[in-house]
Amino acid sequence: MLRNYLKVAIRNLWKNKSFSAINIFGLAIGLATCLLIVLYVVDELSYDTYNEKADRIYRVNTDIRFGGGDLHLTVASDPMGPTLKRDYPQVEEYTRMYASSGSKLIRKGAQFIEEPNVAHVDSTFFNVFTLPSLEGNARTALNEPNTVVITASTAQKYFGTTHALNKIIEADKIPYKVTAVIKDIPRNSHFHFDFMFSMDNADYKWGNFLSNNFQTYIVLKEGSDYKAFEKNFKTVVAKYLVPQAKQFMQINSMEEFEKAGNKLEYSLMPLTDIHLRSDRFPELSVNGNIQYVYVFSAVAFIVLLIACINFMNLSTARSANRAKEVGIRKVLGTERKTLVYQFLIESLVTVLIALFLAVCIAFLVLPLFNDVAAKSLSIKELLGKKILPFLIVLPFIVGLLAGAYPALFLSGFKPIAVLKGSASTGFKKSSLRSALVVFQFATSIILIIGTIIVYRQLNYIQNKKLGFNKEQVLIINGTGALGNNVRSFKNEVLNMQGVISGTISGFLPVSNSSRNDNSVSKTPVIDSKNGINMQRWAIDYDYLNTLGMHIVQGRNFSPGYGSDSSAIIINETAAKLLAFDKPVGKKIYIYNDENKPLAFEIIGVVQNFNFESLRQSIGPLYMVLGNSPWLTSFKVQTANISALVSQVQSKWKSMAPGMPFSYRFLDDSFDEMYRGEQRVAKVAITFAILAIVIACLGLFGLVTYAAEQRIKEIGIRKVLGASIGNIVGLLSKDFLLLVALSACIAFPLAWWAMHNWLEDFAFRTNMSWWVFMVAAAIALLIALVTISFQAIKAAMANPVKNLRTE
Amino acid sequence: MIQLQHISKWYNVGGKPTFILKDINIKITEGEFVSIMGPSGSGKTTLLNIIGMLDLPSEGSYQFFDQAVYDLREKHRTELYKKNIGFIFQAYHLIDELTVYENIETPLLYQDVKSSERKAMVSDMLDKFNIVGKKDLFPSQLSGGQQQLVGIVRALIAKPKLLLADEPTGNLNSKQGEEIMDLFQKINEEEGVTIVQVTHSEKNADYGHRIINLLDGRVESISEKPLKQV
Repeated sequence: MLRNYLKVAIRNLWKNKSFSAINIFGLAIGLATCLLIVLYVVDELSYDTYNEKADRIYRVNTDIRFGGGDLHLTVASDPMGPTLKRDYPQVEEYTRMYASSGSKLIRKGAQFIEEPNVAHVDSTFFNVFTLPSLEGNARTALNEPNTVVITASTAQKYFGTTHALNKIIEADKIPYKVTAVIKDIPRNSHFHFDFMFSMDNADYKWGNFLSNNFQTYIVLKEGSDYKAFEKNFKTVVAKYLVPQAKQFMQINSMEEFEKAGNKLEYSLMPLTDIHLRSDRFPELSVNGNIQYVYVFSAVAFIVLLIACINFMNLSTARSANRAKEVGIRKVLGTERKTLVYQFLIESLVTVLIALFLAVCIAFLVLPLFNDVAAKSLSIKELLGKKILPFLIVLPFIVGLLAGAYPALFLSGFKPIAVLKGSASTGFKKSSLRSALVVFQFATSIILIIGTIIVYRQLNYIQNKKLGFNKEQVLIINGTGALGNNVRSFKNEVLNMQGVISGTISGFLPVSNSSRNDNSVSKTPVIDSKNGINMQRWAIDYDYLNTLGMHIVQGRNFSPGYGSDSSAIIINETAAKLLAFDKPVGKKIYIYNDENKPLAFEIIGVVQNFNFESLRQSIGPLYMVLGNSPWLTSFKVQTANISALVSQVQSKWKSMAPGMPFSYRFLDDSFDEMYRGEQRVAKVAITFAILAIVIACLGLFGLVTYAAEQRIKEIGIRKVLGASIGNIVGLLSKDFLLLVALSACIAFPLAWWAMHNWLEDFAFRTNMSWWVFMVAAAIALLIALVTISFQAIKAAMANPVKNLRTE
Repeated sequence: MIQLQHISKWYNVGGKPTFILKDINIKITEGEFVSIMGPSGSGKTTLLNIIGMLDLPSEGSYQFFDQAVYDLREKHRTELYKKNIGFIFQAYHLIDELTVYENIETPLLYQDVKSSERKAMVSDMLDKFNIVGKKDLFPSQLSGGQQQLVGIVRALIAKPKLLLADEPTGNLNSKQGEEIMDLFQKINEEEGVTIVQVTHSEKNADYGHRIINLLDGRVESISEKPLKQV
């Protein structure tokens, strides 16, 4: 029996080649999309789960609100970890990472390489995280100072072998002994260090509870409730932080501090939440976003659903051809139940073929997808124990979902009516069919609108007036390595053709530059009430003109004034927060390193410029003359930029032999801050196109169906004198009405979804009505093209053939 | 009115032509009532379709009111046909989704007749054929005879000069059939509409002035009949 079914199924697929091709192809695209997204989602959800104690490891997060500034940190103070372990028996272990000191220069022969992925970690690091050793024992490797644990690829890079035990690595001129080589850190980890140095070598003023610079992780004992544990932080604050705060900042009690609207709180974040649910700062690598996981999962489901709907529509569209077979089988005594099985098996066969094709498509598209999504997923993961069961169950679910309706519909035919040839009557205006089309097109329109708005927002960011000029600015990284030569380096470069001006400052309005914040007050005594947290940027005389920033009041720093070392320039936000009527000439107070207030005179107000992502509004900032040699930037104007760069490089080589030369452009660095959005936009566009293609395949099927249903009517109308235009209009009208209805449903939903997304940005484009109109027009146009193909075919057909009575 | 010369139609089956019609020469004058007879497969319906311009022959020429039909462009042929020819089918071929009124109105829609004019014309016909009471019913609510009556009214609504009927009584009982045939005769005599009908029944064929007998795609015989007295 089963063989008979399979035979009929395969012959039927073969007989209607073009139909089957549409059916299988549409389903395969849907399934392939689904597979890719499942790979992506499973990967996103798998972050840090490789750790054996993953469910018991928590990161200590810090939330500070002080002087109008809100800080959500991933780091805690250095004594926090040891204190928790000492005071609370629930804490089995703690470990800290100190990565705030930035990159290190590692010597390889005569050459120095700048390595960014470095950290000082506690010796307990490898007890907390599961990172197996290849050589040596990582768990005890960092007990001594001047030791380092490296990964296998790092060992390969520096020593050409993974057998690097007891070799010496020189980092920032300090020698470290390699005491263990570990396997490379898994890709799905929230940190990726190449070098883990002993914490004893970290250059840090230890013991300050108020300075937060350490990623701190604790392992709770089995059965401990981390939410309950968080309550202990209040005690920790009262016992350790308040005494230090009294000493440094005239804060007498926590109550007084909080009454002034300030906050200092600690919380625990489960390790496995870090990748997707942390919107804190600073993270050790680029995080994902649980929202995107939700959105993509929903998209996968919707695309699959659209594909299933197509399958249903196309199967019923073919029903007229199958009606006779059903009639004969029924006359021969087949029960309805058996027929249902038969059709379900047919749909399962189709789905299996589609699934095979989908895996092939997924395999081919994966490199592209990896590129777009910045992942390195492998098709092999489909066979992993997380996805394989899904892959096995999927065809059955889809087969049932897509096949059930056609199966029930087809098997319900009355044999006599079918054999007389009047089976298709009575199934003409199905509200189900209309609902399916509306669903498909509403989804497509939402996706089109979403895509346009995401694209427009990214465009907006790219072209927004930022308050500085990001074009043609060359940044040389790591110029601090030049030591005292940095000024002469700057002057040498300024002499080159095409260089207009230059500035030495680590502070730039893009990522990968310095940030520093400080409390500022209008009175010499800073307390919790009048302190304002501001960015403090150390710049030089040429900073503002090199970056194209504008002074709106007062003046820039100038060597002509001898007193500019105690002068200060603030931005417009700071002027507003300080509530000075005329800020120029006023005095403000800032604590120096010894916690003594120093008076500064405001000499100018700089126009607000965006120095963080456009997601955030512009915060208060002040600028002082200072020494911050990490980065040197040049405003250039030359057609041959690469010639200039190589000129600068040779100058660098002569002035800093052996030091790595690295440069970037300000506009590239700016774009870097929106890589995540750009990625999402690309993925969204891809899926929108896919959804539309699949929906169109479905519409194509439906029009075919409609034309088949109305073939007699079309014939009659033609005999009565209808032109081709009349017939195409007749067939298109209903569908175009449905597409219009879809638009009405899609508009509010799309508006709501995109409104929420745009809310994330402090600076955002508006949602013009034309975006909606364009989306609807695109959907309508695509539908029209799809429909007219079939409609014209139906209208051109010779009516005589269709009116023959048998 | 109609002049068919050397009309042949064939299909190639396995490389050899199979003739459906072979060298048909027929002349029909205005006001005539012609019956086409012949066994199944003799090519009656194909011939009727060719006369009705629904089908094209493989060979031959066709003069309709002194116009060479096959020299005309598709568009003009459609115009000619829309204005002059009405069709009646054995299976009625009413549009199931439309009411009697709407079915009758349909040909006028395709001839761009104004709304008010359409209304007048349809009401006039409904009156004349005494089916005003049925105008809002759907075809499935009517008997076969009534459905065919609607079919005839629909064919006549645009005042055609030629009425083509393909076994109009084939699906009806004898009493209904007789009524329809009487109606045909009346239309032919009172309105002067030329009628060509295909039929199996000798009795119905006798309503015509002339009977063309087809066999295997050829005209076997033509029997002229004296005008029947009313």
